[in-house]
Amino acid sequence: MERRRSVRRQRRYKRPWYKKLKEYVRQFLAFLFSNVGIICLVVGYTIAGSFIFQSIESHRILEINGEVWRNRSLYAQKLYNVTMQLNAKVMDKETFHKDVMSVLEDYQKIIVNFSRRGYDGNDDRDSSAQWSFAGAFLYSLTVITTIGYGNIFPRTPQGKITTIVYAIIGMPLFLLYLSNIGDIMARSFKWIYANLCLCRWCPGVAKRRAERRMRREHRLSLEYGSESDEEDSQPSSQPWEISIPVPQLQPGGSIASDGAVTSYTEGDESYDVQSVTVPLTICLLIMVGYENKKNCKVSASSSVSRYICGGALLFCKWEDYWSFLDASYFCFISLSTIGFGDLVPGDKIYGRGVDFYKDVLELSFVFCSIYLMLGMALIAMCFNLMQTWAP
Amino acid sequence: MEGRDKYHRGSSRSRGSSSASDVDPREKIKECCRKLIAFMCTQVGVGALVFGYTLIGAVTFMHIEEKGQDTKEDEMNRTRAEFSVKLYRAALKTNGDGINIFSRETDKVLQEYQVAVVGIFQHGYDPQDAWTFPAALMFSLSIITMIGYGNMVPRTPYGRLATVIYAVFGIPLYILYFMNVGDALAGCFRCVYRWMYNCSTENNEEDPPKRVIVPSTACLWVIAAYVLTGAVMFGAWERWNFLDSIYFCVTSLCKLGFGDLVPGSSIDASNHANQTKLVINFVYIAFGLGLVAMCYNLMREEIREKVKEVREDFTQCLEDTRVRLMESCNRCRGIEDDVIY
Repeated sequence: MERRRSVRRQRRYKRPWYKKLKEYVRQFLAFLFSNVGIICLVVGYTIAGSFIFQSIESHRILEINGEVWRNRSLYAQKLYNVTMQLNAKVMDKETFHKDVMSVLEDYQKIIVNFSRRGYDGNDDRDSSAQWSFAGAFLYSLTVITTIGYGNIFPRTPQGKITTIVYAIIGMPLFLLYLSNIGDIMARSFKWIYANLCLCRWCPGVAKRRAERRMRREHRLSLEYGSESDEEDSQPSSQPWEISIPVPQLQPGGSIASDGAVTSYTEGDESYDVQSVTVPLTICLLIMVGYENKKNCKVSASSSVSRYICGGALLFCKWEDYWSFLDASYFCFISLSTIGFGDLVPGDKIYGRGVDFYKDVLELSFVFCSIYLMLGMALIAMCFNLMQTWAP
Repeated sequence: MEGRDKYHRGSSRSRGSSSASDVDPREKIKECCRKLIAFMCTQVGVGALVFGYTLIGAVTFMHIEEKGQDTKEDEMNRTRAEFSVKLYRAALKTNGDGINIFSRETDKVLQEYQVAVVGIFQHGYDPQDAWTFPAALMFSLSIITMIGYGNMVPRTPYGRLATVIYAVFGIPLYILYFMNVGDALAGCFRCVYRWMYNCSTENNEEDPPKRVIVPSTACLWVIAAYVLTGAVMFGAWERWNFLDSIYFCVTSLCKLGFGDLVPGSSIDASNHANQTKLVINFVYIAFGLGLVAMCYNLMREEIREKVKEVREDFTQCLEDTRVRLMESCNRCRGIEDDVIY
């Protein structure tokens, strides 16, 4: 007995370490490409990206501020000249207005141009507030999902190069995530749909449905013989049967009048769950419903944050700012990956430049990120479901 | 198009009822319609369809958004007048005090003004004629291709609604275009590549013509060349530096579309030049996305081939390992049996 144990120990000992390592690496890779792994991979990639971008972009005072400052002093000089000219004559309110208006109009043009390029009206703020962790996270997410809001964008050359490289690696990764998660969600949704909505569990309904289908098939086969043959075989749907355990129903011997019927229904029950085609309308409903849920969520998140901050006035304004149309517009533009960036959560607070609400801002960014990840997976699921309708 | 179809159908029905001609006209019309739809699904047809759709979108958005401009314009003017009064007051107060004090006061007022202007801008002020036709064209393209630059956005509620509806119909159309043009370009590229391949390897012997798969590096070279061309072009026009223009090209072709750099968006440049730039940008992006589709198409083929190979290797490897493992197990068991008995 003792010798036997020693032999076994020896064998275990003899196994070379690199083989073990290779096995571990293989297992790790397999895990990474499994479903949980791919989610972890995407999230990890985004977090890594947010750290990288934060470190590159944050400690940098905007040079645009200097430009604005220079322009302003130039225009102050201009205004002084105007005033001095008028002083030489008589200081008349009307002419002063007229002259000053033209100067101000020029100035306004310059300011609009600057704010196009991302200037937000405050002099004494560097970009570190914008590139907080949550902001950088949202930025990385918008890069790999190809939404690209554009409310935050890199200004340094290094940041631009990093963005290009990051996007090239990240986008295939995200596509992988979408196809993987979409597939799983579609499968589970089909399962739920088949079992709940079509009442597969309830034997009476299933039996009746099978009977009805049988009758229809029979009629079809009378009319077009060749087509029904194709439908009967259905080789492609057979493998699904293994992947998901389906509660098997016994149709019982109640339709014992002819054996063909029962045999047909049995075959029907076994493969049907994954070959159920979910109606298009339900897919569309899910999409629309998800978009509208966000509307509620926006108001909910704002109320939560109001609760945290103790009744901040700003958030009432924020809530007003997102009307129903605006919110659904935002959701649509985001989920279709258009991403104009005219409405971004927390944008209003930015404009005020209040540091006090920073944590709330981060909260809304986090909400937005989660919403995007889930929403895009859901849309992938819907596409997956709709594909069964395509020829 | 639907309207026209309906019209045809109606006219055919009336003609059919009035004169029973030798060939059934309804059949003929139906055939025509079928041909038209079939043509619409070819490459040329889809291209034309996308182009027409963007044209329609451009006209619609121009029309909708031009109305929304006025209120913001008023607000801007009012703010300007207000600050002019403030400046007057400041000037009166500091009249005799010399340039330094005057500058300080003016600077303060201007800073306030600047904050106000930025606020109005963020709520949707665009300088007068932002919605020119080429700009609106660019906007429609950025919707249906899902780029979404965001340098121009709809400000009115109607505009937003129209954007949503436009995108709902436009995006599938664009995807159709993407697939179709990708196929066509991939076919062309494959032909060219095969021809070049044959030319270069003709001299050794007459092989049976085997299937040539375009390597993905060739696709990547094509894309890189396209990006470089675009970068040089935009760099020359917009006086961007090289990195900026490459950044713009890549973010556009990847459909990120931050909108921090958009050709023809600066106010100072002359309007006419801006518009030509916008149109050329339109063509550049529409064709570039087609190229991306082509690469996608070609690379998918190669990757599929590779994956098949890898899978075969892997199964073989697994089988090998299993056999070896079984052998070793058997041997061990044999040893153990020997030991025990």
